[in-house]
Amino acid sequence: MSSVVTTPDPPRFQPGDYKSDLKPVWCAGCGDFGVVSAMYRAMAELQLEPWNTVVVSGIGCSSRLPGYVEAYGFNSVHGRALPIATGIKVARPELNVVAVGGDGDGLAIGGNHFLHASRRNLDVFYVLMDNEIYGLTKGQAAPTTPSGDKTKSTFFGNPEPSVDPCELAISFGATWVARGFSGDLKGLVDLMVAGMSHRGFAFLNVMSPCVTWRGDDQFKVMKAKLRGLPEGYDRHSRAAAFAYTRETETLTTGVLYEAHEPSLLDRLEAQRTKAMQGYEELTTEKVLKVFFPPF
Amino acid sequence: MPTRDLTLAMVGSGGDGVVTMGEMMAQAGARDGLNVIKVEAYGPQIRGGESSCTLRMSAEPISAQGDAVDVLVVFNWADFTRFKGEVVPKADAVILYEASDPTPLEDVKIPTATNATWIPVPFVELATKATGTKAAKNIVTLGILAELFGIPQESVRKAVEFKFGKKKAGVLEANLKGFAAGREFAGTIGVDVSARKLEYAISAPKLVMTGNEACAVAALHSGCRFFAGYPITPSSEVLHLLSEWLPRSGGRIVQTEDELSALGAIIGGSFAGVKSMTSTSGPGLSLMAEMLGLASMAEIPVVILDVQRGGPSTGLPTKSEQSDLYMAVFGSHGDAPRIVLAPTDVEDCFHATVDAFNIAEETQLPVIVLSDQAIGQSRQTVEKANLVHEVIDRRTPTAEELADYKRYAQTPTGVSPMSVPGTKGGMYQTNGLEHDETARPASSHVMHEKMSRKRFAKLDFVEEKYPLHVHLGPEKADVGIVCWGSSKGPVEEAMKELAANGVSVSAFVPRIIMPFPKKAFLEYAASVKTLVFLEVNFVGQLYNYMRTFVDLPAGTRVFTRSGGMNLSVSEVKGRIESVLSGSGVREEVTA
Repeated sequence: MSSVVTTPDPPRFQPGDYKSDLKPVWCAGCGDFGVVSAMYRAMAELQLEPWNTVVVSGIGCSSRLPGYVEAYGFNSVHGRALPIATGIKVARPELNVVAVGGDGDGLAIGGNHFLHASRRNLDVFYVLMDNEIYGLTKGQAAPTTPSGDKTKSTFFGNPEPSVDPCELAISFGATWVARGFSGDLKGLVDLMVAGMSHRGFAFLNVMSPCVTWRGDDQFKVMKAKLRGLPEGYDRHSRAAAFAYTRETETLTTGVLYEAHEPSLLDRLEAQRTKAMQGYEELTTEKVLKVFFPPF
Repeated sequence: MPTRDLTLAMVGSGGDGVVTMGEMMAQAGARDGLNVIKVEAYGPQIRGGESSCTLRMSAEPISAQGDAVDVLVVFNWADFTRFKGEVVPKADAVILYEASDPTPLEDVKIPTATNATWIPVPFVELATKATGTKAAKNIVTLGILAELFGIPQESVRKAVEFKFGKKKAGVLEANLKGFAAGREFAGTIGVDVSARKLEYAISAPKLVMTGNEACAVAALHSGCRFFAGYPITPSSEVLHLLSEWLPRSGGRIVQTEDELSALGAIIGGSFAGVKSMTSTSGPGLSLMAEMLGLASMAEIPVVILDVQRGGPSTGLPTKSEQSDLYMAVFGSHGDAPRIVLAPTDVEDCFHATVDAFNIAEETQLPVIVLSDQAIGQSRQTVEKANLVHEVIDRRTPTAEELADYKRYAQTPTGVSPMSVPGTKGGMYQTNGLEHDETARPASSHVMHEKMSRKRFAKLDFVEEKYPLHVHLGPEKADVGIVCWGSSKGPVEEAMKELAANGVSVSAFVPRIIMPFPKKAFLEYAASVKTLVFLEVNFVGQLYNYMRTFVDLPAGTRVFTRSGGMNLSVSEVKGRIESVLSGSGVREEVTA
């Protein structure tokens, strides 16, 4: 994200200051409540100025989140949170830009943008709330739905294999990739603070159970699989990270991968500086001169 | 008697330097203050293959490419046959052709050139003798053309010097020798072509630019500082130019993964407070449909340049057509207001683009500029003094409005103050969902109706303030042509010729398609006896669109045909003559 606006003590902003007065449409027990709570706390920890912060989403249950954050927000169209976030961040690099959405939004219809935001190392923190299902459209299979699972759209069971969003993000070139669980508020806050502070494309996949379409035991099921990364884990190694992707019996949370590489804005800024060497800022007048015959 | 208006066409293969030669002559003409229009055509090959360049130079104002060619240069008859029907010599044209071409002259059939002067020229031999390489045959040709037809000699020589002056030693000398050899050869031809000699007085130099270049200049002029785009023929030049200009003017540019991200990114950029633009062609506009609806719903100003090509689908990527009108005007689900402008020539590309930014900012609507390949990629001279246009910036909320900020406050014009991130007290969460005045999601039918009314009210404001159109010809006329976009050029030229033959003809050319300048059109329609629509698309998209809001008079005639070839002056004349003689409504396109 890279443009964290901080303020000296005492904190001006409490977590509650980031809570808008719009009441969430989410079902009781939805994992996304944990995600938005963690976001309020992470923002408070970093003292993000709400008016210099934009939360962007696509469409889906989780994409309603920007409405619940007291900041600038943009609930756009299905799958397109990242293109919109790209424009906001590149046009106004000084803003804190957070993109959020669900697994269908980010991996199916928006999959191509996920690839390219990662590849560009776009200076945005992207939180994907992964509930392994389409919730808003009432229970169809998503790219993350385990193979064989029966859903509304897979009467005979899901015939397709699923993807691991973290594995994709690392392959695509994201420079900070983590997995969290919405039932672990403290862990989630820590991951969000780290993700928001990362310079470049930071991707956080939050396992965020859908109690309505995946069963109300999902919290228990996921919790039972939880484990942390081992001591001495090398988060700068892609190969090491891949050992903790495509898990079935376990669910490893933590920062799987981190790299320090120039972000998109670093590169654009370097180009601009170079482009301006020996040049005055272009004006219409100067540009028009190019079109007179040069002899 | 010399002429004041000359059209040359040159045809050859990739290595023949036809395009370079045309460019050098166009620059030379512009340097002498002549009016120039240059059009290129290529085969489908990525590199090499046949190419043609048609160049019209005139001491008088001109508005269309010359479709009847005075002088034809053919390096290779095989290449010429590939442009048959596109390059049409006049009956008494002068035709210079490669003397060593293996195709026997009796096999070369040019039905229009009934009384032509045929001049064999050993282009290759002359070039090889003078410079040691046949690669210089275009420079030899420049010498011949300069001598025979009065193409600005001094300026052409300067063009050669400029082109080769920076190359390694000897290259310039060799090319100047080639140029001199061409001039010398011209003196030995011994055929009188003086009727084709261009006569003019030198005046101040003019700019030479394409429509796409004019759009890019206009973007910079309007204060656009963010651009996102995806490469597509025939609009990529805008992306290319701005990739240099924006970083040098405090702006930024992103080449996105597809067109829907391009429009998405500029919606983001504009939401963030920076004037933003994308450019594309038909296939890209199709992908942008969902984002058009979002810009309309969330009321975010954006400018989309669509340089139209033949469609649907991949269609004719390198050739012009006026067939994206429906998509531009109607393309979206739901009731999604937008503005559509249609520039009529290169200079107008500048004005339409600045107007687009102004209207976008004034109304917070997406604005589509419907250019087409025929103006986007043709090169014309433009008077620099004409490229002046006021720039309007965004209306941000006052301190009073921020005290109780409502992003979508109801106002008489439908336009609400738009706060920009970074503004304390101006925070809101926008969305593509229907929403209330404070931007909160709202799905009541009452709110939906109210907000639809607000969004559409903005069109009334635009219709009132921007009734952009051109009325050509006399105030009253027997025949009134309705056309749009690049068709204006050939129509204007044809009207001159028709008027000279005593035909009473005028034309109405809307420069804004949505909202349509209805009032001006109705006044115009009352000033003519017969309305005639001329469009380069199969179904008559402007005609059909206009029928949704005006009752066109009985007896209105409609001439439409698919694109792939630009509307020509002779074609327009033919259609108007057929109206006057009461014949055909729709003519078949013949090869």
